[in-house]
Amino acid sequence: MRTMLEMLIVLIYLLALLTGILIGSISMPLVMSRNIMFSLTLLHSILGGSVLGVYLNTIFNLSLPIPLVATLTAIVLSILTAELVERGFPEDTATAFSVALATTITIISSFYASSISSTALAEAWSYVMGASSLATLEDLMKVLIVLILTIPTVHFFWKEFKYIAFDSEGAEALGLNVRFYRYLFYSLAALISAVLSSTVGVLVAHVVLAVPGAFAVRISRKNPVLFSYIISVFLMISGYILARILNLPPSGGVGIVSTILVLSLVILREYG
Amino acid sequence: MNNIIELKNVNVVYDSVRVLDNISLKLKSPFFAVIMGPNGAGKTTLLRTILGLVKPVSGEIRVYGYDPAKNSKAIRGMIGYVPQIVNINTYVPITVEEVVSMGYLSKVRPPRLLTKRVKKRVREVLEIIDLPGIENKMFTELSGGQRQRVLIARALIRNPKLLLLDEPFSMLDFNIKCEITELLYRLFKDFKIDILLVAHELSPCIAYQPLVIILNRKIFAIGKANDVLRLEVLKEAYPGVTTLPGGVIIGEDHA
Repeated sequence: MRTMLEMLIVLIYLLALLTGILIGSISMPLVMSRNIMFSLTLLHSILGGSVLGVYLNTIFNLSLPIPLVATLTAIVLSILTAELVERGFPEDTATAFSVALATTITIISSFYASSISSTALAEAWSYVMGASSLATLEDLMKVLIVLILTIPTVHFFWKEFKYIAFDSEGAEALGLNVRFYRYLFYSLAALISAVLSSTVGVLVAHVVLAVPGAFAVRISRKNPVLFSYIISVFLMISGYILARILNLPPSGGVGIVSTILVLSLVILREYG
Repeated sequence: MNNIIELKNVNVVYDSVRVLDNISLKLKSPFFAVIMGPNGAGKTTLLRTILGLVKPVSGEIRVYGYDPAKNSKAIRGMIGYVPQIVNINTYVPITVEEVVSMGYLSKVRPPRLLTKRVKKRVREVLEIIDLPGIENKMFTELSGGQRQRVLIARALIRNPKLLLLDEPFSMLDFNIKCEITELLYRLFKDFKIDILLVAHELSPCIAYQPLVIILNRKIFAIGKANDVLRLEVLKEAYPGVTTLPGGVIIGEDHA
């Protein structure tokens, strides 16, 4: 019994470590490209996608994996945002359009799902709030697969993401396929957000996406990527520890540590 | 001598607004030219059209004999482009070496590795722009004039035959504007690079007797400053031009 408990604790911290690495990989490019508003799209599209998944399962008696529906919805709406930006819309307008679309999906799906099943909304809501403090091997595998897919891709195209964030007009004039890299980056962000949502919850996922990158840029201009990884791993592990101490779900602990980091960022900005 | 840039009856429309109206223009090498015009005159659009980034609704363009919209790869291999510095995101932590090498590495496929050869070439172009040894500095640590020079170096690393510069004088003091012009003229004279720049003011360039193109959706005049900067031309191209006993004020920050 004790061994089982120890195994579970190891599993939880391993999950925290891996999600920390995952966040570290995307947080810097997100902050760098000043695309934090874009995480709003992700938040709403994952929420919309999960409610849509519950609705489809309830209506058509399917057994679609909700995380998959949420991920696909997030990717589609992210690409829509990228395309609108590519067509000359300001990023906030593109984000607002995608958020409006995602919210409409959420409202319509919620309305119909709740009129048919009393548990449908609660099911979707559990996805939004994040899993309980119990981590499963399935969670770990999910994070590991996404990590293997995304981290090499992010670093392989790191220069391109950086160039486009720095000067998209210049990058285009130099012959870079800005549209392709924007699609790729937004899709990676959507994939990472979706897997984080199923572990720490949608709401906290979007806080933790921004914090490590913003903090890393503030404390190191020369090597912010390394700091982004260090801060996000620290954020996740300390969040999980705090959650255990306070008997909260992991999202609660991570949320508290994120808030402390954001406050220190403000203090650092004011007095640093 | 061949025409480097040739536009025939080019029209560009954005959201049903005609930004470039029946533009015809021929530039033969060597040229050191300045495009002047009020805000919204289509100056940037003209540069972007020459680069192939904007497709005209009608008309014909040839740049080094190529149609930029169809042969953008060939065109961009010969043209260096320096965008407006206001569009640069200074929040990105990026070194001078990374910025300049971007010009070179964008020609190769990913992973765009910063090899010794590329680093050497970066050092060479930094020497050309009179900023040797700054490759490891962060872009944000540089002054406005140095940033502009680094962006010029990024364009130079590709060994261009033609440099297109979009408002290289914006947000700079007058003496820095003159230094940038001096650098551009040196590139024109010593490195045989044709220069086409967009500027709101001509005074930093006037000593080098550039070819002046007055644009406000249409081309109002092309020629040397003395021939072009005449009241009747300015009155036509710049709505709201004000005449004073000592000269004219052409509005905004133009002078």
